[in-house]
Amino acid sequence: MILRVLAVGLLLVTAALLQTALFPFLTLAGFRPDLLLLVTVAIGLRDGPLPGLRVGFAAGLLTDLLVSQSPVGIAALITTLTGFIVGLARPYLAPESVTAPVIIAFVTGLLGTAGYGVLALLLGEERVAPVMLLQASVAVGLYNTVLAPVVLAAVRRLSDRFPLTGPGLLD
Amino acid sequence: MFLRRRVRILLVVLVLASLVLVTVDFRSGGDGPLDRLRGGVTSLLRPVQDGLTTVVRPIGDSFGGLGELLRIRADNERLRERVEVLEQRHRSAADIQRENAELRELLAMREHTGVEGVAARVVALGPTGFEWVVTIDVGRADGIERDMPVVNGDGLVGRVIQVEEHAARVLLSIDPNFGAPARHASNGEAGTVVGRGGEPMLFQPFDPEVDVEVGDEIVTSAYQSGAFPGGIPIGTVAEVGEVTAGLVLDVQVRPFVDFTRLHHVIVVTSEPVADLPPFEDAPEPEFTPPPGPPTVDGDEAESDAEAGDEGADDAEAAP
Repeated sequence: MILRVLAVGLLLVTAALLQTALFPFLTLAGFRPDLLLLVTVAIGLRDGPLPGLRVGFAAGLLTDLLVSQSPVGIAALITTLTGFIVGLARPYLAPESVTAPVIIAFVTGLLGTAGYGVLALLLGEERVAPVMLLQASVAVGLYNTVLAPVVLAAVRRLSDRFPLTGPGLLD
Repeated sequence: MFLRRRVRILLVVLVLASLVLVTVDFRSGGDGPLDRLRGGVTSLLRPVQDGLTTVVRPIGDSFGGLGELLRIRADNERLRERVEVLEQRHRSAADIQRENAELRELLAMREHTGVEGVAARVVALGPTGFEWVVTIDVGRADGIERDMPVVNGDGLVGRVIQVEEHAARVLLSIDPNFGAPARHASNGEAGTVVGRGGEPMLFQPFDPEVDVEVGDEIVTSAYQSGAFPGGIPIGTVAEVGEVTAGLVLDVQVRPFVDFTRLHHVIVVTSEPVADLPPFEDAPEPEFTPPPGPPTVDGDEAESDAEAGDEGADDAEAAP
C-alpha cells in the first residue's frame, strides 16, 4: 500500500512536471492538456470512486500550488469531484471498451476546465473571459482525448504492478 | 454498505477541505500560509523543471505546436505586408530622416534609463491555460525582489510576483492581470497598457484624441514613479480602435517579445528612474501634513520637508 502511494505520488509529480516544462512547447492552439486531471480520470476508471477521490484531491492540490493567482482549492475541488464521478461510472462501462474512456477523457477535460474557469470567474478572477474559457475547455478536452490512451495505459500498468489493497477495492 | 458510507464521508471531507482552502487563500491576500506552500513547491520543482526544460526545449522548438504552423503562416503574411509598407515608406528621404530622429530619440531614452539587471532562464510555465506566469531560475539569493520588472532583448516581459531563494515566478505582460504605465515612443503621449492573454495587448492613452498610427512603437513610462523604468519597448500598434462612449481609445499593441519562445530574460534590479520633475508652480499647501511614520521614498521625504519649511514660514509671517 505504501509502495502504491509512492508510485501514484511519483506519477502525479511527473505529470505536473511534464505539464509545466514540456507541454508549454507542445500546445494545441495555445492550450496545454490537463495531465493531472487525466491521471485522476484514469485512476477513477481503473480503481473506482474511493481512489478516484483521494488521487483527485492530491492532483488538484498540486495544480493549485503550481498556479500563481487563482485561490488554492479550486482545482482540488474540481478534480476530487471528477475522480469520484468517473469512479462511480466505472461499473457501467464495458471493461475492454476503448471508446468509453476516450469519450470520458474528452468530457472530463471539457467540463473540468470549464468548471475551473467558472469557479475562478466567480471568485473574482476577471481575466478569465467567457470566450477564452470556451476555447480552453474544448482545446483541453481534445488534447486530453489524444493523450488518454497513453495515460490510461500507464496508469493501468502502474495499478497492476502496485495493486490496490484493503478497503476501496470492492467499490 | 460500510464502504459506500466511507466513500461518501471522504467525498464530503475532501470537498469541504477544498472549500476551506479556497476560503483561507482568498482571505489571506498576498502572503498567507498557502502562498508560502506555493513558494515551497516552486523551489522544490525548480531544479527538475530546469533540467527537463533543457532537454525538451530543442524538441519543442523544432516541432512547435499544431497551431504554430498557422501562426507562422499568418505571421509571414503580416510581415510581407509590413515589408511592403516599409519599402514604400523608405522611398522618401524625408521619411527616413524623420524615422532616424525618432529612433535616435528612442535610443537616447534607452540609454537614459540605465537599467541594471540579473540574467535568468525560464524553466517552467504555469499549469493551466488561464494565466501567463513563468518560473525563472534566480531568486532572493540573486537579489531578486517582488515587483521587479523583467525584460529581454526584445522588450518588456513582465513583473516578478513571487520570490523564493533560488526561484521566482514572473507575471508575463500579456497576462490580463498585468498593467503598466506606458507611452507613445515618438510623441510621448502617456497611457496604460494591459495584457489580454492570447489577444494583443491594449494601450489606452489618457488623451483619446491623440494621433496614433499602426506601426507606432509603445514603450514603458516611469510615470507616477511606477514600478517600471521608462523607455522599455513594449510593442507596436497593430490596430487603432474607435473612441468609445467612455472617451477611451483602445489601441491594440502587438508585443515585441515572443512569449512562446521565452528562453532568457533579465530581471531589472536597479531602481526605476524618476521621470517627472516636481511641479514648480504647485499651489501652496493649505494644510500641514499630519505627522506620520517617515516615508521610505526619498522624493517624498524631501517634499515633506519642504512643505514643513513653508508651513514654518507662514507661521512666522502670520503675527
